[in-house]
Amino acid sequence: MPAKPVSKQVPSRGGIFSKFKGNIEAIAIGVKFFFNPQRFTLIYPKEYIKLKEGYRGFIVLRKDKCINCGSCARICPAAAMRLIRLPFTDPKTGKTRMKLWPVINYNRCIFCGYCVDVCPTEALYHVPYHDVVYETMDVMDLDLEEFQKEPEWDAEKLGLPVKYVVDEKMGLVKVRIKEEGEKQ
Amino acid sequence: MSGILDAIIKIITWPPLWQLVVLGLLIPLGVVVFILWFERKTAARVQRRIGPYHVSPKIAGGLQLIADLMRYMFQEVIIPKTVDKFPFIVAPLAALILSIVPVVAIPFTSIEAYFPIDMSYSLIISLALLTLSPLFIILSGWASNNKFSVIGGMREAYLITAYELVAVLAFLSAGAITGSFNLVDIVEAQSGVKWFIILNPLAFAAAFIGVLLSTSGFPFEIAESEHEVVAGAFTEYSGLVYGMNMGAAYLKRMIFSIMIAVVFLGGWQPYTPGEGFIAGYLVPSIVILIKATVLMMIFSFFRAVYGRYRLDQALDIAWKILFPLAVLGFGLGLLEAYLGII
Amino acid sequence: MSGIIRTQGAQVGFNDLKLPGMWSRKIGKDLYEIFIGPQHPGSGHMRIVIRVDGDVIVEADPDMGYVHRTMEKLSEVRTWIKGIPLFERMAIHDACNVTLPYVRAVEKLMDIEAPERAKYLRVLLCEINRIAAFLYGFGIFGVFLGHSTMYMWPFGDREVWVELAEWLTGARLTHSYPVFGGVRRDVPAGFTDALRKAIRYMRKRLEDYRKIFVDNPVIRARLEGVGVIPKNLAIELGITGPNLRASGVKYDVRLNHPYEVYDQLDFEIPVFQEGDAYARVWQRVEEIKQSLNILEQVADWLDKHPRTPILHDKFWKTAPPLYKKIFEETGRAKLGAVYAIMKVPAGKAYERAETARGEISYYVESNGGNKPYRIRIHSASARNALVYKYIVPGHRVMDLPAIYGSIDYFPPEADR
Repeated sequence: MPAKPVSKQVPSRGGIFSKFKGNIEAIAIGVKFFFNPQRFTLIYPKEYIKLKEGYRGFIVLRKDKCINCGSCARICPAAAMRLIRLPFTDPKTGKTRMKLWPVINYNRCIFCGYCVDVCPTEALYHVPYHDVVYETMDVMDLDLEEFQKEPEWDAEKLGLPVKYVVDEKMGLVKVRIKEEGEKQ
Repeated sequence: MSGILDAIIKIITWPPLWQLVVLGLLIPLGVVVFILWFERKTAARVQRRIGPYHVSPKIAGGLQLIADLMRYMFQEVIIPKTVDKFPFIVAPLAALILSIVPVVAIPFTSIEAYFPIDMSYSLIISLALLTLSPLFIILSGWASNNKFSVIGGMREAYLITAYELVAVLAFLSAGAITGSFNLVDIVEAQSGVKWFIILNPLAFAAAFIGVLLSTSGFPFEIAESEHEVVAGAFTEYSGLVYGMNMGAAYLKRMIFSIMIAVVFLGGWQPYTPGEGFIAGYLVPSIVILIKATVLMMIFSFFRAVYGRYRLDQALDIAWKILFPLAVLGFGLGLLEAYLGII
Repeated sequence: MSGIIRTQGAQVGFNDLKLPGMWSRKIGKDLYEIFIGPQHPGSGHMRIVIRVDGDVIVEADPDMGYVHRTMEKLSEVRTWIKGIPLFERMAIHDACNVTLPYVRAVEKLMDIEAPERAKYLRVLLCEINRIAAFLYGFGIFGVFLGHSTMYMWPFGDREVWVELAEWLTGARLTHSYPVFGGVRRDVPAGFTDALRKAIRYMRKRLEDYRKIFVDNPVIRARLEGVGVIPKNLAIELGITGPNLRASGVKYDVRLNHPYEVYDQLDFEIPVFQEGDAYARVWQRVEEIKQSLNILEQVADWLDKHPRTPILHDKFWKTAPPLYKKIFEETGRAKLGAVYAIMKVPAGKAYERAETARGEISYYVESNGGNKPYRIRIHSASARNALVYKYIVPGHRVMDLPAIYGSIDYFPPEADR
């Protein structure tokens, strides 16, 4: 059942009546939206979007799961992930060996999520937000300690969480998410 | 002491000064600030946005325009080396002043003591003064020595020739009905429901669209059309002078709206001016200003609905539709005068 | 011309005024040369040099290359999978469409094919991207004509599709969704319901667009008969996409060389005859309608079929149990470590796809290594850019934004 070409024509130019009708229609729809604006703007610092599970936001390392395979650094298209050599003491045997650990440079990261997907042990995961502010560019080059912490999310402290739901009438509807402990 | 106070009040309320400074500049400036806010809010509502908000959330961003004005004031006024300095600086000032001067020839009351000048030929005088300011926009475009400015100025020149005749003819049709160039007579003739918008809708339509054409209102925002000529004649301007240029267009639209309110919307009707400064001068002028503001709001609404016409199409509309419409309106006025409807 | 500077036979510039060390070119008498761009509110990342006689343009010179990023060369020093996020940068709001032929070409070299479910998912994201890209084009077009409402509305409605794409892939724009042998994520629960709502909403909104923009007399006056591309000129210049179809040529990659599952879907390819800017607007409106039809069919198919692997067996058969568990739970297909070091058998492959702006084609050559030997991209905007030189002359200066917007030219895609 392949596609089929269908010849179409633009509506004819019409006379003065259709021009008049066009003007009236345009003004009428403008007036309709003037009285019923249907807006869904996010008032950003006062509200923030709580993104869905699975959003490719900032990346965090679970060090205990990492097997030092280096796949994440190898697949990174922007060379944001790189491996550093650090001593590691095995808790079982007590031996100390040098091992390769991934660290990330958010100056370069493009959030493609390949590293998370390629990690064989799910040692990397995304946090569902991306609006994080760093003071300088140097700070964006994380070290291993920083890489294990979820980045500080200021929007969460400043605003109220909302989510957008697809709606048949409005397109998107801004829905306020009730926080825990808040009255329904 | 009270003598000095009386003298000061007397100077302030001296009709020519009062009319030019308060009715011509201060109140229209306030209205323009409101209209700019209204325009942005209207567009935002139609476009499903919020519009100005963060400057003053409690009054729906009402202070945004004040903030913008502050920004213009603190911005550096850059005068490029290549411009012709004297006309470059003088032209926007002259355009601003000339766009508010016509207000001295518009009566805001029927009591003779409050006329700034003799009103016998006020319709002609105000129309003549209204057509002066665009010349200085052309001058500022030429003085800027920038290709986009020159094109913008030329477009303005084309548009002047198109709308001037239309607007003048449309306003003069009121003179045809009443047989007088005295705006006071014209307003008095519209007592009751005999407003000229009802008696002569053709002339009103021509005047309405003519005002849109003359003040770069949508769908005729052509001389400053951003996507071909950047900011038209004002491309090289910056800071407060640029703000002045933009404000002049809105002030001019306000004065035109006052003209329409007086000529077509019954002026101070249905109110009848009474005795004294307040009842005889202040209240009728407020009635006129309210009518003019409503007109301004309608003009602003078009921004949300229309794109802009091409230059040659705007000229087509002016010469092929509006000009015959204005002539017809003039004829209709003569016919009504002949039939003795007034 | 006497003053042409030639270097080994190739013309590189003019020296009409014989200025030392400087290129100069005489233009006609009484002509006014205006540089529209690259820092002009009415140009994109490009420049159009126009010469006007009065208000009429007599010559137009599109000058592109301001956002050239050497993508073809960059791809040669990266492993195969790294090409996908790189090529996305051509048109980030049309990401799935522009990367799909690359993925398919590499699949061809590896002699694998994506599972059927993955094909449907690719079509799903392609059509979501296509609608979003058309709406983006409408927004730019609207503001070029001074219609600020038409700027805001499509951008607002595009948000619906971007939101859906984000839900599906995890990123708003640069999805990096198709990978060799399949796609990266399956549809989340409740996605098809939201998709159907969005389809019904969009059909309703197209009527609103018609009222305020397409049938608005001001806009019709600006567009009718402006920028006409005759059928033979369209073919001669090799322009593509909606612009070609609006000129009456029945060509669409989805129709003539169907890929993925487009040959199993029931949809129309609208073709308009007029070839002017107004026909191009209608062309895009009709194509949005057809994309909505496709999306409806894809949603039906996805509802009927339970979750099956979305990566080719070559990659999925060897996947560890953890991978399969995560796929069952979240629908996320994890990539094997082989993707990072994958070698592609030597050979040449050529693939094309229909993006929102027209046909994009990839020539991929491998010498058996872990990096491409050569990749050649011919994007839709690069083909459409030529048209300015031929159709702009004869129009008025104010027509330039109307033509520019109606071609829906996207400089980053053209410059690569």
